[in-house]
Amino acid sequence: MTAQVSQITRRAALAGLGASAFAGRVPRADAAGVAGAGRVAVVDWALLETFLALGLPPAAAPELILYRRLVVEPAVPETVADLGLRGALSFERLAMIRPDVVYGSNYSAWAAPQIERIARFRIFDLFLPGEPPLARIEAMTVAVAAECGIAGRGRGLVADGARRFAEAREALRTASAPPVLLVDVGDAGHVRVFGADSLFGDTLSRLGLENAWRGGTRYSANAPVGIERLAAFPDAFLVGVGPVPPDARRAIETGALWRALPAVAAGRFALLPPCDAFGALPAATRFAGFLTDALLHRSGRSAG
Amino acid sequence: MRQDLKSAAARMRGRGVAAAGWLALFAASLAVFALAAKSATVGLAPGFSETFLIAGLLPRGVFALLGGAALGLAGALLQQALRNPAADPSTLGIGAGAQLALGIATLLAPALLAGAKVLVAFAGGAAALALVLILSRRRNYDPVTMILCGLVVSLVASSLSATLILAGGDYMMSLYLWGGGALDQSGWRSDAAIGLMLGVAAPAVFLMRRPLAILSLSDESARGVGVATGAIRLAAAVLATVLATGVIASVGIVGFVGLAAANLARLSGARSASARLVAAPLIGAVLLFATDAAVLALQQLAGTTIPTGAVTALLGGPVLLWLLPRLPHRSVSTLPAPARRIRAVSLGLAALAAATAAATLVSLYLAPDGRAFLSSADLAETLMPLRWPRLVSGAAAGALLGAAGTILQRVTANPIASPEVLGISTGAGLGLAALLVIDPLAGSGPTFAAAAGGSLAALAAILAFAHAARLGPERLILGGIAVASLAGAGVTLVLSRGGPEATRLLDWMSGSTLRVTPGVAVAEALLAIVLVPLALFGHRWLAILQLGEATAIGLGISPQRAGGLLVALAAVATAAATLAVGPLSFVGLMAPHLARTVGFSRPRDQLAASALVGALLMIVTDTAARSLAFPYQLPTGLVAALVGGAYLVALVRRKAPAG
Repeated sequence: MTAQVSQITRRAALAGLGASAFAGRVPRADAAGVAGAGRVAVVDWALLETFLALGLPPAAAPELILYRRLVVEPAVPETVADLGLRGALSFERLAMIRPDVVYGSNYSAWAAPQIERIARFRIFDLFLPGEPPLARIEAMTVAVAAECGIAGRGRGLVADGARRFAEAREALRTASAPPVLLVDVGDAGHVRVFGADSLFGDTLSRLGLENAWRGGTRYSANAPVGIERLAAFPDAFLVGVGPVPPDARRAIETGALWRALPAVAAGRFALLPPCDAFGALPAATRFAGFLTDALLHRSGRSAG
Repeated sequence: MRQDLKSAAARMRGRGVAAAGWLALFAASLAVFALAAKSATVGLAPGFSETFLIAGLLPRGVFALLGGAALGLAGALLQQALRNPAADPSTLGIGAGAQLALGIATLLAPALLAGAKVLVAFAGGAAALALVLILSRRRNYDPVTMILCGLVVSLVASSLSATLILAGGDYMMSLYLWGGGALDQSGWRSDAAIGLMLGVAAPAVFLMRRPLAILSLSDESARGVGVATGAIRLAAAVLATVLATGVIASVGIVGFVGLAAANLARLSGARSASARLVAAPLIGAVLLFATDAAVLALQQLAGTTIPTGAVTALLGGPVLLWLLPRLPHRSVSTLPAPARRIRAVSLGLAALAAATAAATLVSLYLAPDGRAFLSSADLAETLMPLRWPRLVSGAAAGALLGAAGTILQRVTANPIASPEVLGISTGAGLGLAALLVIDPLAGSGPTFAAAAGGSLAALAAILAFAHAARLGPERLILGGIAVASLAGAGVTLVLSRGGPEATRLLDWMSGSTLRVTPGVAVAEALLAIVLVPLALFGHRWLAILQLGEATAIGLGISPQRAGGLLVALAAVATAAATLAVGPLSFVGLMAPHLARTVGFSRPRDQLAASALVGALLMIVTDTAARSLAFPYQLPTGLVAALVGGAYLVALVRRKAPAG
């Protein structure tokens, strides 16, 4: 991916220039952009990750302060203009960036009436209840790359992900990993469990791992459950995906119930650094890397 | 004599029956709790089930009892100290204040939470209560006014909390859960803390029981028997706040238990103050325990977490519906006469209109970050299509709210009445919440329809309530308070699920003109053009109603009907405004005051002036929300709530009475 850098920085620098000169006239400088797509803005993190991984930093993207803390990689260049909160996009800044096309997901579809008056708006349905999302994410990756005239790079990114999944799968197979229970830690007493229709749950199946939580369809991936429910899976390896609130971290370390959970008591437990649960291929491979590490060094490692 | 004995015997029997009823409820909930607990441990790892029973379920049951007792005692203390049967940590803003303080600490000073969570919660709760009391002082602590002030303070605090949650990012889920009040325990720490508080509070209340009982009399007679009423009231209020915020710091917001417990104590035959101070904690304990047992059983069936606090909040609406029409009416004062009067009314109105037009131009041509003006026609052309719908809909909604606020404050002769407390905006929120539970990704059309449906349902409920209770217009607003509480509980229940639907609901609740489309803006403008003149036509009724019921009837006007129609008009205007700018603005509270302060004192002049002031306020706050933190957009409702909150405080400081 680094091969494209020199070509990109000029474009990105121009984009940044346009963005920072908001009080004055914004030059419609490089409408040419990458062949095909023109000047691009994104309003969803899954699309942002994908564009960055393709080596095409968009001119603008939302909520970059939180992105740098929660999603971490791929890193966002300073030249990308911030569009504000994902739920309250700054349409004024978007309009001044003068994108030719804006990419978003079904989570940003609410903004269609405003965005469509600024530029063409491409919406990809990525996360739908009951549907494993990775296939849709891969299709989106290929489609986006094709629209930007770099179809080959898109297929390469998907193939690269598949190769990484396969390598991890092989390593895990020889280590005969137990079923995994994936949770998002809410507070001291509650978690959300990632089911098969979540990004991380789908990644588990790519890694050839068994998701201990089979209630995916009965229990929405979004509804919080009490941590005692986790004791119904005594043989599972428990994995908490960051970030973990300070209160909950204390409870995990000292709380009577957390310590008594079979997985925690047996050391079959790990906390992973922050990963974006509604991200794209980069988030999935980042998560897969952390998870594989944790499973191969099964000693209750705790990070981030 | 025999008659007295007989009725005394009947009372005793009644009390016995009530006590037996509470015991039976307690026994039944014990059984439900035991069954649910047994089912909750089924299928868990063998070693873990014992730990879960001893360190999870048992402390949870005990906490429900202790926390319920603490809230019941807090409710009884507040009601006795303030001579207001509707007083409760939830109705007086204590809960919302504590929540806001804890939210601020979570995001800005997490270290503070580890050591001094209880103190942080107490500071927030006490500040909110103090504000409510100061606000209602001018109206002689009239119970209805006090509840109104509590609702207004709660709304401001919740709007700030909503913004904090949205900005919180990483820890959103924990803030959601905590707002719902889940009673899950891990170990006995919270039980020990609340037990300790009750252990200190009980003897203190015992020592205070006589002076507290005397507070039921008027202040003069109490002072006559040598009781320092002020000190006793203060002590009781502080004690109640400590107990309530202690529970909040441990498990989150558990609403309306105290209100229900203290009133049910009264209904169960606890007629004296000291009897209520004993009965309310006991009933509170049974109430919270019974609710929690039901929640535990429901969780087994539903498979997801249901926060107990959000369920107890559902008690609030019905209790208030029953209670509010029965409240004693203490204040008869009308609105204070304005200090000055404008002679050339038309000139004044023209000046206001000019100011609004100027603000519109400034807002249109200000640079996005608000620090300069747009430097090129090209840029202006880019931004205009985004700006005018926001401006038009904001100004129209401001005008509608200004007119609605004037009507409400005039009809109820209550300066704190504001469109927000009518429950219409909360009803719109509930409609939206229901839709988002079914389809978290619903588009803008369905969400608009759902919010409209919710506000119409709330409007119908208020009118039906007022009709059934044969309330005069003055009390119509009470139905609004009850509807606001009920709908608010439903919204909390949805919010505590977390997930995308909760985020979208918060986006809407924090109030923003960001999503307004040109079509909505035009529709909003048309509504304002129709409804504001309609309100102006009603100015004669407003003037006549102020002269008193007898005069009105003498002039051939039914005060009930005229007042009802005017409030209905205000409600429709509020519903229209809510759809465009979200549930919260306080423009409807501020605009009438400002219009009056400037000197527009006759109903017609005040109506016209408040509509203009409302439009002006909305333009200014929306422009500030858009540009202050550019490119991050502040919710318009938040900026308005901050201005409104500051305005409330200023209002109080300026007009505090001498005595």
